Amino acid sequence: MSPLPGLVGQADVGGDIVVDCGAVIVGSGAGGATMAAELSEAGVDVIVIEEGGYHPTESFGTNSCRALRTLYRDGGGGMAVGRPSVLFAEGRCVGGSTVVNGGMSWRTPARVLARWAAGGVTAISEPDMEPYFARAEGRHSVGLQDPGTVGRDSELFRGGAEAKGWTVLPNRRNQLHCAGTNNCTNGCPTGAKRSMLVTSVPRALSLGARLFADCRVDRVTRSGAAVTGVTGHFIRQGGRAGPRMTVRARAVIVAGGAVQTPALLARSGLRSASGTLGRNLSLHPNATVIAFFDEDVTGWQGVHQAFQVREFTPEGLLLTATNLTPPMLAGIMPGHGRELGELMADYNRVVTAGPLVSDSGTGRVRNVPGLGAQVFYRLTDSDAARVVRGVELTGQALFAAGARRLLLPFDGTPEARGPGELRRLLSRPVPKRSIQLYSIHLMGTARMNDDPRRGVTDSFGEFHGVPGLFVADASLFPGPTGINPMETVIALAMRNARQLVERRSRYAI
Amino acid sequence: MVLRGPVRTAARRFAEVVCPPGVRAGDRTDRVLGELELMLGALQPTARTAVAAVFVLIDQAARLHPRARGRRLGRLDDEAADAYLRALLARPGTAAQLAGRLKSLVVMCYYELPEARREIGYDPDPYITAVSRRRLDRYSADIRATEAGVAAPDPWQDRR
Repeated sequence: MSPLPGLVGQADVGGDIVVDCGAVIVGSGAGGATMAAELSEAGVDVIVIEEGGYHPTESFGTNSCRALRTLYRDGGGGMAVGRPSVLFAEGRCVGGSTVVNGGMSWRTPARVLARWAAGGVTAISEPDMEPYFARAEGRHSVGLQDPGTVGRDSELFRGGAEAKGWTVLPNRRNQLHCAGTNNCTNGCPTGAKRSMLVTSVPRALSLGARLFADCRVDRVTRSGAAVTGVTGHFIRQGGRAGPRMTVRARAVIVAGGAVQTPALLARSGLRSASGTLGRNLSLHPNATVIAFFDEDVTGWQGVHQAFQVREFTPEGLLLTATNLTPPMLAGIMPGHGRELGELMADYNRVVTAGPLVSDSGTGRVRNVPGLGAQVFYRLTDSDAARVVRGVELTGQALFAAGARRLLLPFDGTPEARGPGELRRLLSRPVPKRSIQLYSIHLMGTARMNDDPRRGVTDSFGEFHGVPGLFVADASLFPGPTGINPMETVIALAMRNARQLVERRSRYAI
Repeated sequence: MVLRGPVRTAARRFAEVVCPPGVRAGDRTDRVLGELELMLGALQPTARTAVAAVFVLIDQAARLHPRARGRRLGRLDDEAADAYLRALLARPGTAAQLAGRLKSLVVMCYYELPEARREIGYDPDPYITAVSRRRLDRYSADIRATEAGVAAPDPWQDRR
């Protein structure tokens, strides 16, 4: 028996199925679930297909490894191949990455929208987007933290940055009286984080949408130029392929994220005249500085991430402190055996912080036979230099906050015991291959542009030359946002859904 | 079951060396391997096979380390095993990268053990229970109203 009306999981399906609908949506994350809710509200018959499973709020706990196994693709261990390789994580569950992200909800900066408009995207100015941002924020309870929910780690980092005279902003998050459990990346155990799991997914289902979970879409199907639906299969426990699923639909909306979306389109035989499908990948590389303090910080008591240092936004740098659970911290700690044990013994005196770099989009997604979608990424020299600068700035703030020593995200670099030593260490060239990077913001692999020679989709997400095929995730971004991308994805999905509804007679939905 | 036979033996010794010494208390090593097995189950089959192969490679490649005198990792005493892995992890290149990724995975599994978490002062469940209760005490009316509004009609009022 399904806990949500309209939800069908692999255990509910005994044999192959064929279903019809107006619009089929691949993916239930920020873009897919928003599209589903908006289209359902307009009376469109919607089916959502999600590769991951349905995991309700009550199932979320503090076991990080369990969360990685059940809520993330490939156990959270995606890797963009390059020098250096970049670890990345994507959600794979009902609600997508919104279930496991930190909940930062920021509007796309005006300068970014202006750049996108100048590059060939229409109706994307700040005034154009304002109603969609407002709707997204209302729908997902975006606001500041309640008093008493910010942890000491965030306060220390803010104090350090303010001591340096830098601009610090409190985070805007999609949360309804967040309790500060610091369990965002394992799934919010209170439902305070207003992820798609507790907002747009139940909304869409209550408005009549159907959701097939544990179901992987293999191909988008077409007849001539027009789309006719998708085919896929359910995934049984243990990953075995289950019954086949065929959805016949008059519109297909692909919202599988910036890795899976271009991979699905490419394996469906779709090509973009622009040559940019799967290219132009940005991933906001992050690096983590581990700081040890004399005092008890106990950073796990308080919200996951409370502030952002915005002083260096013009340089494409954002600095934040984010608490990591013991398994996640141990996973990035240097050393092993006794040495690792000694470092981890100070877990409650640690603050982890670092830069997010607005990068130049030099990555690519390709389908590799036998391996599926693979990501390749080349960190440019200028982006590498900004990572190093971001690490130095983060270190300065941490020392200003009282840190005693820092572990830096560069292989083979000794720890820094003061600001002078930090400067000295980083004044030497840092080999690119030694930089430890990770990403949770992948963007740009099916970028929008009204000119089919420059973009995969038009300004409203419709694939050039394939009527009825839409993209609705961060793949659409012409470039990096420089800030957390979730609200941009949601607002664009609302805008593009509205456009689709206004033109619904074209697609007979 | 990925960790069986020589792969399991190699993984066990690897876990004993890369995890803090506490891993040898009681049945912790077995439980780390159990957690690791579950993690490997979340990977694609190709990746799973690759991980198994890397465990065996690391075990066998120890033979080339000067202090190993031709023995594999599973036959080395703690000091020699530690020296071998230290050398391996410090080397630039793919081998070190792979060994580093495996080390990360295994120590993550170690710090998932309840007693390992308690030993470093991480005990979040009572805290989460307390702040969750406080949230409901303070804001229940607003929470109920918002939850009730999730499915409320919200059509666009204007046409563009």
